[in-house]
Amino acid sequence: MKTATIGPAGSRVSFRSQGWITVVVVVAGLLGAWVLLNAVIGGRCDQTCVVGSLAQALRLATPIAFAAFCGVMCERAGVVDIGIEGKMLMSAMTCYAINLFGFQLLRDSMGAEAAGSFSRILAVCLGAGSALLLALLHAVVSIRFKVDQIISGTVINILAIGVTGFMYRAFLAENLPAGPGTFPIISIPVLADLPIVGPILFQQKPLTYVMLLLAFLVQYVLFFTPWGLRTRAVGEHPRAADTLGINVFRVRYVNVLAGGLIAGLGGAWFTLEAVDVFNPLMTNGLGFIGLAAMIFGKWTPFGALAGALIFGLGSSVTSTVSIFRPDIPSQIPQMLPYILTIIVLTGVVGRAIPPAADGQPYEK
Amino acid sequence: MVGGFFQQSSVYMPLLAIVTAFVLGGVVIWVTSGSLDTVFLAYEGLLRGALFKNRGLSESLVATIPYIMLSLGIAVGFKAGLFNIGVEGQFYIGAVAAAWMGASLQGVPAIIHLPLTVLAGAIGGAIWAAIPGFLKARTGAHEVITTIMMNYIAFRLTEFLISGPLRDPNAAAVQTPRIAPGAELWSLYAVPERLQDPLNALLVALIVAGVGFVMARWALPRLARRQRDEGRAALLNSALAQAGVGVVAGLLAFAALPALTRLWWPFTDQYDRLHTGLFVALAASVGVWWLLWKTTIGFELRTVGANPSAARYAGMSITRNIMLGMSISGALAGMAGMMEVLGVSICRCLPLFFSSGYGFDAIAISLLARNDPLGILLSSFLFGAMRNGADLMELTSGVSKYIISLLQALLLLFVAAPPIVRWLYRLRAPGGREESATVTRGWGGQA
Repeated sequence: MKTATIGPAGSRVSFRSQGWITVVVVVAGLLGAWVLLNAVIGGRCDQTCVVGSLAQALRLATPIAFAAFCGVMCERAGVVDIGIEGKMLMSAMTCYAINLFGFQLLRDSMGAEAAGSFSRILAVCLGAGSALLLALLHAVVSIRFKVDQIISGTVINILAIGVTGFMYRAFLAENLPAGPGTFPIISIPVLADLPIVGPILFQQKPLTYVMLLLAFLVQYVLFFTPWGLRTRAVGEHPRAADTLGINVFRVRYVNVLAGGLIAGLGGAWFTLEAVDVFNPLMTNGLGFIGLAAMIFGKWTPFGALAGALIFGLGSSVTSTVSIFRPDIPSQIPQMLPYILTIIVLTGVVGRAIPPAADGQPYEK
Repeated sequence: MVGGFFQQSSVYMPLLAIVTAFVLGGVVIWVTSGSLDTVFLAYEGLLRGALFKNRGLSESLVATIPYIMLSLGIAVGFKAGLFNIGVEGQFYIGAVAAAWMGASLQGVPAIIHLPLTVLAGAIGGAIWAAIPGFLKARTGAHEVITTIMMNYIAFRLTEFLISGPLRDPNAAAVQTPRIAPGAELWSLYAVPERLQDPLNALLVALIVAGVGFVMARWALPRLARRQRDEGRAALLNSALAQAGVGVVAGLLAFAALPALTRLWWPFTDQYDRLHTGLFVALAASVGVWWLLWKTTIGFELRTVGANPSAARYAGMSITRNIMLGMSISGALAGMAGMMEVLGVSICRCLPLFFSSGYGFDAIAISLLARNDPLGILLSSFLFGAMRNGADLMELTSGVSKYIISLLQALLLLFVAAPPIVRWLYRLRAPGGREESATVTRGWGGQA
């Protein structure tokens, strides 16, 4: 058994000072991707194409970043959460169903446009709520009953596959009414008209903005508030935190539940931003990729965002390549994000030091 | 005696979990369908479809076979402290490797081709599992994420191979070429016919001889211990006697089986898909039990799984055992995929988008069985029967057959978290510490 100890001074990376490194990595990644992209497709990607592909990278990074923030919240408090995938899947299914059927109920009374936006917002709330329920299950099973956290997370994943699969086949597979569709793109006034930056950053769908704001919010909560200090203390050395009067269980519960809400937003992305259908297993491992982004980002929200952007960039570049080079079998580039995840996990890119008490149930 | 058996928590807890899952599943059916009768209609249809309809039992067994292999694989991993969620991917790679080996040789007799194809499936799965094993041992990358990533890579890779390099150019559908007759895993119906070929009879005789030899090694020394006469005891203990039993068993099988199976054979339904893989699965479960509890290798695996620092202190190589545990686990999973191609698939090939979903169920099975080979046989049959009975259930009651996956997920929840079941039934925890799996060790890049 690994005991929870805080290493000697200096052995633990000061997380906030690492910010500029991630910035450098991201910028280098962007430039490298652009060069690589043009090398593969023979210089046919002009400025519009590059801008489009970068905007797409941010779009594709959104669910990964949500998953990574969920992971950061949980693991900073010492709870490993591999059930993010399941929570996102559950939320994606709930969002789709609520959006569709809420719209049917409301359309006659409030008109199509208002009903559409109302049902989408309702869907996000209830989707996050469904993920919250799974998070509560994970919390009770792993914190209160002290079941191994990875087993508990796997149970969440399989439970979500079972529930969503059943609901899909029972209610969502056929005879569906026309739905209100996904969120529209929201252009931020003035900023959206900026050259290059505008189309990339300020012409996105709402959840992407939420994700960017959340990065700042989580960073602020974890590193600049008493709650964040308590969370990190519980994640590093729960016994010491307990001695100082911090309620370890309460901190862990709240963080796991907050993580659940965040993962729920990530799930909403799939059916309210990306596509207007629900497929069983549509999350495609992005929850796990989010965990890799979290590890890459050394358990900080900004770092996790950087990791998510790199994964998003990888996916967007491969899809651009497959547009220009249809002769390359699409399966080969599709493997890349998963291979990248494995490489990140091996620690080749950035040595990772998890919170010391990560994954250990606390016995009072 | 029986009371004592049911008082063991390893027996009553899974049973309570199963009952609770079915009751909760019933509530879900009740709520979604709106009538209580549907619940009974559904469960009656499930039972009838699983056991009593025409070929019901044999179809249940067909689904049981891969479950046994995959959950044995997960159990071996668990015992070595590894949570191999990637059996699904290893299943795919085993299937592709077997499909390739089965189709690339033509006209080779089964006595050479079948073992080669089986081996290809096992090696394919083993390599696919050894990669995360290696990464865990060397860099500490946790196998739970890496094996899942390997799953997705395996799905894309098989898709690419089936639609590209391995595609059958003569078939309309996107699939691999049909495997050669020599590589087919015999259906039980076809066994008498197959045995008419002396080479096939020789293959069976060799297997029987091997089994006879192993059983003699186990039984003869026990007989020898009872002997008063030392000469006889020495004879029974000698390798010659053990080999003799094997040879005699093999010769008898070679001489008698082709004629005997012609005279009488229980499997007379030519549409029965049950295949000889059943014996492979049974042998594998005995083999895994023997490996884990009766050999030095198994002892080392279990020690590394239970307490890596103690194992290291005792001079065992962590790296070697992690690699070994993952490889054995993957080989079993790969053989499951191999059997699906060689024995079950109708085209005797690997079609595009063949999806099994066996892998995740197998996690539930091995947790339900607490990684015990006998328990795995029983739990696998439960899952196989549910999977097979679901169709008739849907037909007779109108309840979507995917309620099964919900049932299985609930079951998994209750077996993974015994405190929930205990709390539901107000049971006291057994004295002493209960064995519980710990796989969160070394999370996130620290070996």
